[in-house]
Amino acid sequence: MPVIHTDDLTKYYGDVRGIEDLSFDVDEGEVFGFLGPNGAGKTTAIRTLLGFQSPTAGSATVLGSDITDAPSLRKARGNIGYLPSEPGFDENVTGRRLLEYHGSLRGDVRSDEILELFDPPLDRNVGEYSRGNKQMLAIVMAFMHDPDLLIMDEPTSGLDPLKQEEFLEFIRAEQDRGKTFFFSSHILSEVRKVCDRIGIIREGKLVELEDVTSLINRSGKTVRANVAESVTATEFDIDGAHDVTVSGDSAGVGDTAAGDAGGESTSVSFTYTGAYEPLLRHLLEYDLLDLAIEEAPLEDVFMRFYGDHDAEAAVERVEHERADGADAEATDV
Amino acid sequence: MFETARFESERRLTGSAVVALGLSAFAAMMILLAPGIIDEFDVAALTETFSPALVEAMQLDVVATMEGFMALELYWFGWLLVLGVYVAYSAASTIAGDIDDGTMDTLLAAPVSRQQVLFEKFLSLLTPILVVNAVVLVVVYVGTQFVNEPIAAADLIAVHALSIPYLLFWGSYGVFVSVLAPRRLVAEGIAAGTLVATFLVKTIADGTDIEWLGVLSPTRYYDPVTILTVSEYDYSGAGILLVATAVLLLASGVLFARRDIQ
Repeated sequence: MPVIHTDDLTKYYGDVRGIEDLSFDVDEGEVFGFLGPNGAGKTTAIRTLLGFQSPTAGSATVLGSDITDAPSLRKARGNIGYLPSEPGFDENVTGRRLLEYHGSLRGDVRSDEILELFDPPLDRNVGEYSRGNKQMLAIVMAFMHDPDLLIMDEPTSGLDPLKQEEFLEFIRAEQDRGKTFFFSSHILSEVRKVCDRIGIIREGKLVELEDVTSLINRSGKTVRANVAESVTATEFDIDGAHDVTVSGDSAGVGDTAAGDAGGESTSVSFTYTGAYEPLLRHLLEYDLLDLAIEEAPLEDVFMRFYGDHDAEAAVERVEHERADGADAEATDV
Repeated sequence: MFETARFESERRLTGSAVVALGLSAFAAMMILLAPGIIDEFDVAALTETFSPALVEAMQLDVVATMEGFMALELYWFGWLLVLGVYVAYSAASTIAGDIDDGTMDTLLAAPVSRQQVLFEKFLSLLTPILVVNAVVLVVVYVGTQFVNEPIAAADLIAVHALSIPYLLFWGSYGVFVSVLAPRRLVAEGIAAGTLVATFLVKTIADGTDIEWLGVLSPTRYYDPVTILTVSEYDYSGAGILLVATAVLLLASGVLFARRDIQ
């Protein structure tokens, strides 16, 4: 039986969409990454699974408990660790008192052990804690009762890089002990490091659900070639090539006067999904100066799912408007 | 069981001590001032100056004794209004406040039921209620002995004991509002505002055509003036307040269980 099972899980806040028709399973012992841009519905999904809010439609079970069955889900929560994205604590008590309190609610079998890895200043008031210290306290609380399932909302936020690395290492070790992880993130490197499988959510809907390795395989290779002639993008529009871009070699432009290259050189880059042979045959038709074929960065894969958002164009547009506005003001004066 | 009640009670200790000290200081001052004021007080002259209705509304006719003076100055004002507002306000910030600052998430992630959380948070209101009552009871008893105007111990105990259902009622009302309100500030405002409004309605409506409105005011069911001046204890009033408290808590539990925590 899956640890988490959702079936067309839907949550609307009035007319505002939270999540829509989410269906996926998280199996025992796997690390499942839940990805998506801000506002995509990651937190809504997590809060609905924990029973903080009731679904508008659809159903879900967590550790076999129906999320709409409050008494059953309450028992299940005894075996779930939850790490919120912005942990909230009573601020005028010490971390130690807070741990003692939460330990009495959910049981404390290993806080000492976890405090060796994540060590917030327990004798200080939580109100004086930095963001990172709060996150560490929340981590101790999430793991102190040694739960089988960990639900985490952007778990490394607030941690310094060293602690982030330590935390990811800790997740791997816990996975070896048979623990299941469901966590949301938008930090791709950490997803790449620890996740077995990912679901990508966009505008409340699940748009992709796949193994990390097959996603990377499927996403293809980045090909960069530098050829000693002028070429157009259409020439490289072969089967399996996507997003072909062509640019004049910037180094070549400056060097033309010196004339050592003598002719034009052009850089071609594209994403390629397909067999090597036709690609190489095509490339060899040109005078190759340089060639690099590498795994496509995960970022590109996500950008494709996250949307057609072109960050550079967006910034340029805003900057342009600002400049126009300033010009208009200047002429007014 | 009761981990939350214990934790919340501990957190209320400081605030309770501050309120207890403040009301004790106020009580002590009133006790010291009382003999001089009572001596100079002339009810007949007041009745001539002000309309009889006003004299009755302000209950000026009973001020001329230590019991009446303390009932009006300390309990009427300090208990019905000040301590009542403190309890209602504290109760209103429980659920709505915890949701606002995210502590409700951390709490509800544990294997606890919402009804239990709500009830235990309500129970923690007993800390200020009991601490303030106990401290000021002693201060007033000792103080009135000291100025040689002792108040009957039974009456004094009754005026404090019977305030507990009244304060619990406002606690449950605060919790109820806290469950319904979208934000902490709204809950606090509504809870404290309702108390002040019902207090004024009772004070103003007495002896007028709209006296029936006073039935809705909790202040009708706890009257420190009759307790101290004529030793009449309104047990049925206390019973009504306790029943209303239980009803509000049950309703709050049901509503809280259905509410989305956002």
